[in-house]
Amino acid sequence: MSQACAIVGIGQTKHKKRRDDVSLPGLVREAAQRALDDAELTWTDIDAVVLGKAPDPFEGVMMPELSMADALGAAGKPILRVHTAGSVGGSTAIVASNLVRTGQHRRVLTVAYEKQAEGNAQWGLAGGKSGGMGAGGIFAPWMRSFIARTGSPAHIGPMVAVKDRRNAVKNPYAHLQMPDLTIEEVMESPMLWDPIHWHESCPSSDGACAMVMTTEDLASASPRPPAWVLSTAMRSELGMFPGRDPVRPQAGVECAQAVFEAAGITDPLEQIDVSEIYVPFSWYEPMWLEGHDLVGHGEAWKLIESGDTDIGGRFPVNPSGGVLSSNPIGASGMLRFAEAALQVRGMAGEHQVDGATVAYGQAYGGAAQYFAMWVVGSTLDAVAAKG
Amino acid sequence: MSEQPVVAASDSEQPVVMMDYFMHLEYREVVCPIVRRYADALMDGKILGQISPTSGLVYVPPRSYCPVSCEWLGEDHLVELEDHGVVTNFTIVTPVQYYGQEETEPFAKASVLLDGPGGMLGLQDILDLPVDELRVGMRVEAVWLPPEERTKDEIGNRSWGSVDGAIRGWRPTGEPDVPAEQFLDKVY
Amino acid sequence: MPIDIAIVGYAQSPSWERSELTEVQFLFPVIAEAIAMAGIDRRDIDFTCAGSCDYLSGQTFAFVSNLEAVGAWPPISESHVEMDGAWAMYEAWVALQHGDIDLALAFGSGKSSPGDPMQIYPLQMDPYTLTPLGADPTSLAALQARALLDSGRITEREMAEVAARNRRDAVANPYAQISGEEDVDALLASPYVTAPMRDHDLPPFSDGACAVILATADRARALSDNPVWIRGIDHRIEIHQPGMRDLRESPSTAAAGKGAGVADGPVDLAELSVAYTHQERILTDALGLGAGVKVNLSGGPLTANPMMATGLSRVAEAARAIQRGDGRRAVAHATSGQPLQQNLVCVLEGER
Repeated sequence: MSQACAIVGIGQTKHKKRRDDVSLPGLVREAAQRALDDAELTWTDIDAVVLGKAPDPFEGVMMPELSMADALGAAGKPILRVHTAGSVGGSTAIVASNLVRTGQHRRVLTVAYEKQAEGNAQWGLAGGKSGGMGAGGIFAPWMRSFIARTGSPAHIGPMVAVKDRRNAVKNPYAHLQMPDLTIEEVMESPMLWDPIHWHESCPSSDGACAMVMTTEDLASASPRPPAWVLSTAMRSELGMFPGRDPVRPQAGVECAQAVFEAAGITDPLEQIDVSEIYVPFSWYEPMWLEGHDLVGHGEAWKLIESGDTDIGGRFPVNPSGGVLSSNPIGASGMLRFAEAALQVRGMAGEHQVDGATVAYGQAYGGAAQYFAMWVVGSTLDAVAAKG
Repeated sequence: MSEQPVVAASDSEQPVVMMDYFMHLEYREVVCPIVRRYADALMDGKILGQISPTSGLVYVPPRSYCPVSCEWLGEDHLVELEDHGVVTNFTIVTPVQYYGQEETEPFAKASVLLDGPGGMLGLQDILDLPVDELRVGMRVEAVWLPPEERTKDEIGNRSWGSVDGAIRGWRPTGEPDVPAEQFLDKVY
Repeated sequence: MPIDIAIVGYAQSPSWERSELTEVQFLFPVIAEAIAMAGIDRRDIDFTCAGSCDYLSGQTFAFVSNLEAVGAWPPISESHVEMDGAWAMYEAWVALQHGDIDLALAFGSGKSSPGDPMQIYPLQMDPYTLTPLGADPTSLAALQARALLDSGRITEREMAEVAARNRRDAVANPYAQISGEEDVDALLASPYVTAPMRDHDLPPFSDGACAVILATADRARALSDNPVWIRGIDHRIEIHQPGMRDLRESPSTAAAGKGAGVADGPVDLAELSVAYTHQERILTDALGLGAGVKVNLSGGPLTANPMMATGLSRVAEAARAIQRGDGRRAVAHATSGQPLQQNLVCVLEGER
């Protein structure tokens, strides 16, 4: 039966182009140790581990939960390995929370990572063949359709890019640090996949993220304020069939409906204080604002243009700098979930949104066909407390 | 798997922190029966698809099933498709360099909705047109390779709408465009 | 206390040495058959979990196309583990524990034939110290068998007897890839492949798939007059470095068996992931299964080994054996990692 689940420890690595100071196990341990330190727990306090990452061929290690079992302190314990494409970090967190919520385990460590510098993701995506286009080549036509459908002005994508890079300056873990980037510079940067400019795409990063989740009774003994899992949802749909709308995927619409309904949210724009949304290419900020019915059709670009998605705006999106500033692929989704939790714990440092009590984390993957979402609160009745 | 450890750091004064380790795995897959039919037809200058009687959707290449209606499709559901259609979407790719990448200049990849029964081919090459003149609604036709130059080598179970080896790409027919608005919801 | 969950449908593909169908194409009828056996519509399924492996098929995101066999339209609530389908079943079982849904589908599928498992599986090992050595599954299993032989807990003849018994039992199994009557002396006369392993000590690497439908108690009773109950399920991993383990024992299997409650009642039969003949002894010892327990009546993984579905197939075979009346209480076991690094144990019980 469902019971409460609290996030009592959060850790992440410094995300960088190349973390050649640590091995794969070293990278995941760095994040996991920080999460344990935050919770003031040790490896032996953990009952089970849930590991997530994107495709194994990106680093050339098959089923890495096996070789990392030692480093993750998992020997003698259950370990699960989740893989749901780009949404995997979010799905992994949800699977871990389910272990607590259904009473299987009392303390679960969940970790997600990618060490892109130890492999070659572009090669992996292309299956080793020439003419590979990377994920941007798949998504670019859909952004073009979104722009055409909504009449969004061309500077909206670049605005998002500048906002997220500016936010990243406030996040010491973020990979890209570009405090002075301007909209003009974004628009003048090389066009990688029309309409996506160089500065509108995510970097390729090494990094990891970890969380410790626990039950209500154990959370009360935790040294720092917990974040409470108010609702979770996952949805998947077919990636390719005639008539599918990948610009506004139905799985994204239904996943958002489910996660908001389960959290008691009826007016997301008013009841959510801060959102961490998976935006690997700038246009995905307006696309998901509309694709998850946070705003109506054709309204997202106006929200962005007015500065409402900035820190201090009406609906802050990605105060951490988001995927546009750090993209350790497998961890990127979990970073969204973890940053949402940090916000309601009041522990987001310089990129803290003042007084945040309800936060939304989202990740997507595949051909925009896998969705994972959660709503977290500073208390179990954080949504109701908003009246 | 071949093992060719290479010391990456050339300066012997520097500590070695990374070593390149190339692995080589070879996969050989039998081409499934329905794709063999599709490849044979391409050699004869025909594009074969499969139509689901329940959902009415057309799949090219044929898959042997309709994932929307969850029904198995057989030989009876094969349908010959047209070799001309309309560009419904596209992107222009500036190639990212990685091991094995041979492209150096920006290239276009377009979705082509075939005339007649339908069928959508994704990621198609557009020929005889500067990339910046490509637009949604443009009418295009297949540029077939001469029969003696056609090959099935590029066709496999995983080749996502591929006509490689039979069709070089698609070129504008010069006919008037179809209004782009018709294709806003036809991204594939 | 966990919510009672039962298996109300299951299906397997044959185990092929090389299927000419794609993974989705051979998975498609397996899922359809499991759904049909449960007597439900695919849209009744509340949660789906898949297990598969990109490296087997040599394609990043290979699992994505498997959604087509489920008919993920309209969208479904779904997850995927890069693990054997048995762990997908565990995740589905956990999802049902919420108590707000009542039907789940779990499946596992793999197509081993395009690649060479002896080249691929070393990538499961520690990438810095073991993969470069080419630590392949046969060699690691041989080290384990050698340790077991040297300790006197098994003989090469007993290993051959496991192979002969599995192949004989597999004659009645329409899904098996290898079957037949074997003469143990003849088997022992064959040369070593990797000493002390002979050909019969090694599994085939098959193409194939398996699917299972789980239901909560009320739904299960409404759907089936003979559901197979999951009385316990648990899984554990152990240290990776083979040199740091006593390969003759499987403490992770023993712990998972304890967690699943194997010893809480008499066990009539077991379907164990015995991919190497000597492992039957290690696993039966770890689970405390006595001589009266019928092990791998299906022939087991030595006769049918669809990677990523082998473990879930043990669950399906055990459920089938219970419904067939071969016993009332059964143990199903899945493994991952070399040799026997990670293990899952599930206790199943028939209605009558």
